[in-house]
Amino acid sequence: MSVPSAMRVGPFTATVLAKKKYIFFYLFLIWVSVLSITLEFWVFWQEIFSWNLLFPWNITHFYIFFPLVAILMYITIVFVSLFFAKVLLIFVNALHKPREGVFKRDLSDKDYCYWSMRNTIKRWPIWLSHRFPFPFLDNLCFKLFGVKTKFSNSLFEGWVDTEFIEFGDNVVVGQGSIIQSSTIIGNLLLIKKTIIEENVRIGSHAIVMPGVHVGKNCVLAALSVALVGQDLEENWIYVGIPAKKFKKNRFFEDGLIKKIGKRTEDEEVLRKKYEDLYIRRHDERSTLRERVHARKER
Amino acid sequence: MEEDKEDKHIDDTNDDFALDFTTSSAISKMNIKFLILYIPTFWFSGILIGIICYQYTWLAVNVNSLWWIIQVIFLPIFFLGIYLLFILVSLFFCKLFLILINLIHLPKEGVFYAESGDPDFDFWCLRIEIKKLGLWLLNNSPVPLIDVLGFRWFGIKLDFSSHLYDAWCDAEFVKFGRQVTIGQAASVMSSMVIGKYLIIKRIILDDYVVIGGQSNVAPGTIVGKDTVIAAGSITKYNQILEEKWLYMGVPARKIKPNKYAEERRNNISRRDVDEEKVYEVKQEINIDEDKKDLL
Repeated sequence: MSVPSAMRVGPFTATVLAKKKYIFFYLFLIWVSVLSITLEFWVFWQEIFSWNLLFPWNITHFYIFFPLVAILMYITIVFVSLFFAKVLLIFVNALHKPREGVFKRDLSDKDYCYWSMRNTIKRWPIWLSHRFPFPFLDNLCFKLFGVKTKFSNSLFEGWVDTEFIEFGDNVVVGQGSIIQSSTIIGNLLLIKKTIIEENVRIGSHAIVMPGVHVGKNCVLAALSVALVGQDLEENWIYVGIPAKKFKKNRFFEDGLIKKIGKRTEDEEVLRKKYEDLYIRRHDERSTLRERVHARKER
Repeated sequence: MEEDKEDKHIDDTNDDFALDFTTSSAISKMNIKFLILYIPTFWFSGILIGIICYQYTWLAVNVNSLWWIIQVIFLPIFFLGIYLLFILVSLFFCKLFLILINLIHLPKEGVFYAESGDPDFDFWCLRIEIKKLGLWLLNNSPVPLIDVLGFRWFGIKLDFSSHLYDAWCDAEFVKFGRQVTIGQAASVMSSMVIGKYLIIKRIILDDYVVIGGQSNVAPGTIVGKDTVIAAGSITKYNQILEEKWLYMGVPARKIKPNKYAEERRNNISRRDVDEEKVYEVKQEINIDEDKKDLL
C-alpha cells in the first residue's frame, strides 16, 4: 500500500538547518531542475507543431502525448536534481570529508556545519523521488548518495538516513520504521556507521539507532528499538525497547509451512463465533432469496 | 521470554516456531518491470483529462462573448473535478489489471515461501504494486474521505463511517464492521513476511472498534465489538481480542473492561468521579537485571 500522509515520518534527513544561508542550495537545485523540464516542455511544444502524423490538427497530438511526456518530465526533474546535488556534494566533501564520531552541536564545529549542509543538499531530490509511488527512483537516490544497497531492497516505506549506511541483499524495511546513522543527543551530534546485513527483516515502527550492526537473517520485531552501537547477532529474533534476544530465528529453515499454519481447535470455534457475531451492514445488498422471502411475508 | 534468553540449547518444540512477534508487510522485491503497468495507466487517464481540458479551453477561445469570464470563475472547481476524475480513471485501470491478475491466480490465505519462484508470493507482490498506484493517488488527495472509495473499489466492504485516512491498511483480507476508527500511523497488516515465509490471513474488525495510533495489527487478528486497542500496542498472529475490553501492551493484553462503550450512545464525557475504581495491573518489565533498581 502506499504510505499514507501520517506515516511519511517527516523529512528524509532529520537535520536542523545550522545556518540560514544553506537555503541557497535548495533554491539552486529547484531552479536548475525546473529549468530542465521547462526546456523539455519547450522542445515538445516545438516538435508537436512541426509534425503531421495522425491529423493535420496538431493540438490533438499535444493532448495525446502530454501525459507520457509528463511522466518523462518527472523522471527528468529527479535525475537533473540528483546530478547537480551529486556535483555539489563532491565539492562539499572535497572541502571537508564526512567522518564518524561525536561532535559538538555548535556553529563553531566544522563537522556539524558540513553535516547540516550535506543534508540540505540531499533533501530536494529525495523529497521528489519519495513522492512518486515508484520505488526505483528512491533506490537510485540512495545509491548515488553513498548508501550501499541493492535494487532488490525495499526501503520505500521507511525512513532511512542517506550516509554511513550499508545494506545487504534482500532486506525488508517495514512501514514507518526509522534507520538512522546520525542523531542529536542534547548538545552533541553523533555520527556512526550502521550496517544491516543480508535477509534482515525490520518490523514496522522499529527504530535502528546509529552504530547498530544487524547480523544475517536477523529479525527486529515491530515497535522495538536497537540502541546506539548495539550488536544484533546472526539468526536471532529481537524484540523490545531496548531490543533483546527473544528466540532463535528458525524461520529460514525449509518445510515449516505446516508448523506455522497450525492452529488450535478453540481458535477455529471462536473465529466462527465472531463471524456470526459480525453485524450485517446496512449498506450490504440482501441476496435474491432474502428479497423473495421478504416479499412473500408482506 | 526470559527463559529463552538463558538457554543456549533450545529443544525442537512448537514454541520455537510460535509467531508471538510481529514484523511488517512491506514487499521485499521492487522491480522496474512495474513501470510497464504504470505508464499506460497514467497515459490513458491523462488523455481523458486532456480531452476535457481541450473542450474547456476551446469554448473559451471560440465562443465570441463574455463566456470566458464564467469559465474563469468556475476554473477552481473544474481543476478539482478533473483531478478527481484522473484519480477515478486510474483506479479503474488498477481494478482492470487486478481482475486480470486474479483470473490468473486467485488470492488465498495461508503460509507460503517468500521467494521469487513461489506463485503466491509473486502474485501477492504484483497485487500490492498495482493497488499502491491507486491508493497513493487517493492518499495524496486533499479530500480526506475519498480513500474509502478506493478500498471499496478494491473489494473491501467498508462505508464512510469508518476512518483510515491516516493509517496503513492492506487492501485485501480485511473485514470491517461499522464505525471503525484506525488511528494515526497504525498499521493493519493482513500479510507478514517472516524469514523465508509469507503469511496471509484475514483480519476481522467488528463494529465500533478503535485502534490507537502507532499500533500494529498482525494477520489473523479478530477484534471484537466495542474493543479498544491502545496506542503503541501490538497484536500477535491469530490473536483474538474479546468484546468490550481495553487492550494494551506488546503483545496486547487485557487491561480493563471498556466502560465507555456502555455510555457511548448517551454521553461519553460524563463520568462519576466519586465511584471511580482504581484498576491495578501487574505488567512484565523487559529490562536488565542490574538496571531494575533504577525504577
